[in-house]
Amino acid sequence: MTTATLTLKSPRVRGRHLSGLLTWRGLTGLALVGAVALAGLLAPLLTDTDPNAQGPLALAGPSADHPFGTDDLGRDLYSRVLHGIGTDLTLILTAVPIGALLGCSAALLAATSRWADLAVQRAFDLLLAFPGLILGLAVTAVLGPGRWPVVIVIALAEIPGFGRQLRAGILVQREREYALAARVGGSSPARVLLRHVLPNAVDPLVVQTAVALSLGVFIEGAMSFLGLGVRPPEPTLGSILSQSVAYLTTDPAFAAAPLAATTALVLGFTLIAEALNRGIRR
Amino acid sequence: MTALPRPPAPSRRNLLRAGLAGAGLMTLAACRSAVEHSRSAAADVDGAGSPRKGGVLSVAAAIDITPSLLFAQSANVLVQRLVFNTLTRYDDRLQPQPELATSWQVAPDGLSVTLKLREDVLFHSGRRFTADDVVFAVRNLQNPARSAQLRSTAATVTDFRKNGDFELTLVLAHPVSNLFDLFEFMIIPDAATIEEAVAGTRLIGTGPFTLTERKPGSSLSFARNERYWNPGRPYLDGVEIRVIPQAESLLSSLRTGQTHLSYNVRGKDAALLRDDPKFHVKQYDTGSGAYYIGVDVTAEHVSDKRVRQAIAWAIDRDRLVQQALGGYGSVSSVPWPKSSPAYTEVGATHYRHDPERARALLREAGAENITLPFAHATEPGPTAIAQILQYDLKQVGIETVLQPADSPTMQKQLISQTMPALWSLSHGFAQLHPATLAVSAYPFNEAKNSSHFSSPAYTDIVQRAWNRSDSDSPETKALYQQITDLLLDEEFVIDLAIAGLVEVTGSRARGVTLNKFGYLNLDDAYLTA
Repeated sequence: MTTATLTLKSPRVRGRHLSGLLTWRGLTGLALVGAVALAGLLAPLLTDTDPNAQGPLALAGPSADHPFGTDDLGRDLYSRVLHGIGTDLTLILTAVPIGALLGCSAALLAATSRWADLAVQRAFDLLLAFPGLILGLAVTAVLGPGRWPVVIVIALAEIPGFGRQLRAGILVQREREYALAARVGGSSPARVLLRHVLPNAVDPLVVQTAVALSLGVFIEGAMSFLGLGVRPPEPTLGSILSQSVAYLTTDPAFAAAPLAATTALVLGFTLIAEALNRGIRR
Repeated sequence: MTALPRPPAPSRRNLLRAGLAGAGLMTLAACRSAVEHSRSAAADVDGAGSPRKGGVLSVAAAIDITPSLLFAQSANVLVQRLVFNTLTRYDDRLQPQPELATSWQVAPDGLSVTLKLREDVLFHSGRRFTADDVVFAVRNLQNPARSAQLRSTAATVTDFRKNGDFELTLVLAHPVSNLFDLFEFMIIPDAATIEEAVAGTRLIGTGPFTLTERKPGSSLSFARNERYWNPGRPYLDGVEIRVIPQAESLLSSLRTGQTHLSYNVRGKDAALLRDDPKFHVKQYDTGSGAYYIGVDVTAEHVSDKRVRQAIAWAIDRDRLVQQALGGYGSVSSVPWPKSSPAYTEVGATHYRHDPERARALLREAGAENITLPFAHATEPGPTAIAQILQYDLKQVGIETVLQPADSPTMQKQLISQTMPALWSLSHGFAQLHPATLAVSAYPFNEAKNSSHFSSPAYTDIVQRAWNRSDSDSPETKALYQQITDLLLDEEFVIDLAIAGLVEVTGSRARGVTLNKFGYLNLDDAYLTA
């Protein structure tokens, strides 16, 4: 009986997600994220300039040789922005699944007993009590700046979001008749949870993933902006933005490209999350 | 009775004309007042007007003070001469002038100096300043816990002979050429509150201002010392030092008039302000901003001096000065500024950008394609410098792993000699008598330096240059040349550029000066109306 429930449910859910994405919100979000992600992924093909190659031509405006101009150390901004997108996406696509996995594992643990639930909830509260940047400062103080501290901070910041979403879903689903039937049928609590309840409680996590990706872009940018992120000279969108702030009045073109890419990514992921959410609620 | 005729009401057209005429007049008036304001601001910057009493001068600083290093030259230079005084101060020709000491007599054999002290000086606590306070100040610097760069010079004082409360003879173990560097450097603290001073809770001195409040990491407030010994000084009611770590915010605070003065404006920002009539940009030839790469000579690969020389040949110093310092500085392979008796053009230009020569030296040393850790401060300026150096080194086959650390951590690592193989910082002490650099500055100290470098030849030359009472005779200059030659050969400190301090003042601040160690002196400072 339960197997039948699952096989009937999946295409319907997939259809709702798809119909959500096929709205103007979803399509705009996909277009924005797709364009930026494609530019980042194809960076080695789109430019053969070393993003870290310095030269005497500092703070030059856009030209044929340097479509986005150069930064204060004479590096090509076009190459740096494209490679920076790649770095950002690598970090986020590593950190968000780790955060999701840990958050979901914690939610499943919470479903096993009342005491475990209490402990997991307080742990989530503790993580939520630290704003992302304070968490970043704390982690960087211990590990120093670099790629892994950024991944750790993003993952830690995402854990409560995924955990609470899944826990809420489990609390609802495990009171449903099919879960009761499975228990009456002799299934162990672990089997009921993993085989029957979990597949039906993951819907909101799809939306949460899109939200988490936009939050990831934001955290990476903020950490790099404050000098806590990836070590120089490796480009990231946040670090290029941070460098450009000193020249906003004299060379505004310096900030334009990284700002546009960051905005497109955050806006795109937010629109996708919104579209998925509306699709599911339909 | 006939009613008086009513005056005709103004037509809409007349009202519109009158309105336009009024607006035009107001615009003209505004333009004129703006021009006049601009002229008066320009006149103010040119130095017109007499000193005016009152007002609080606001100073923007990039980093907070480090009280534990109060007696070292470090982040504390803004407070040292506000709260405290020194015995003497150098004029522009490096001749000592009276401060707490009114006169002095160096013995012909250079083995003692007799000081006569001011008799009208009170500490902020109300206690009278006497010769005992000078004795305490010297002993305080001799204490290794104070990490004072001029400890070795202070340590040559072996005995104190008091001739009353206001005359004191310092007996020296041997003559030293930099005795007045010590008197310029050594602030006179209050013995009773010394531990509170190094804890940052209370600063008691004889200086023009008293510390009224300290918010760590945020600000320091000072009020005028009403019993200051210098008549009629200071003009200011108070001083506020605001800690603004972000370079952009610091610049913005100056632009908006929230602060009046800063020494932490980046060279490239100062270059933008140079043509702005609302600011006055002044460069000090203090040599305190000499940028260098420090090398731990015990680390792998860089223990070979050919590798260190290769690093010196690999750096494009001209690009560094232009891109990281905004043109405020001069390339140099030696630590000495042009005003130093040790400066020579040949020495300053010894190393040029020559990657081929660097690669050849690395091949010769068998150190091709090596990787080295490289520490630098996290602020944007030092980060830009580190990136330039990293790129230049990569071009000759030296990969570096950047290790950013906050400035106080870098300072502590420098003092405790725990730096990695390479680091970049700036040093001072080259602006004084050359022996001071080699016996006092952490990177160069012949007895114990941050590079772990030691050599009998270096010690011998430095000691011979230091243990004499004259500082500019031909024999002494020959010794300075030997020090320069040894530094250029060993390259445990790879000098890159000498920037000096860049002072940016708003149009209202006047009379601000620095001593040779960069101590901020506001005795004669005032704010215009």
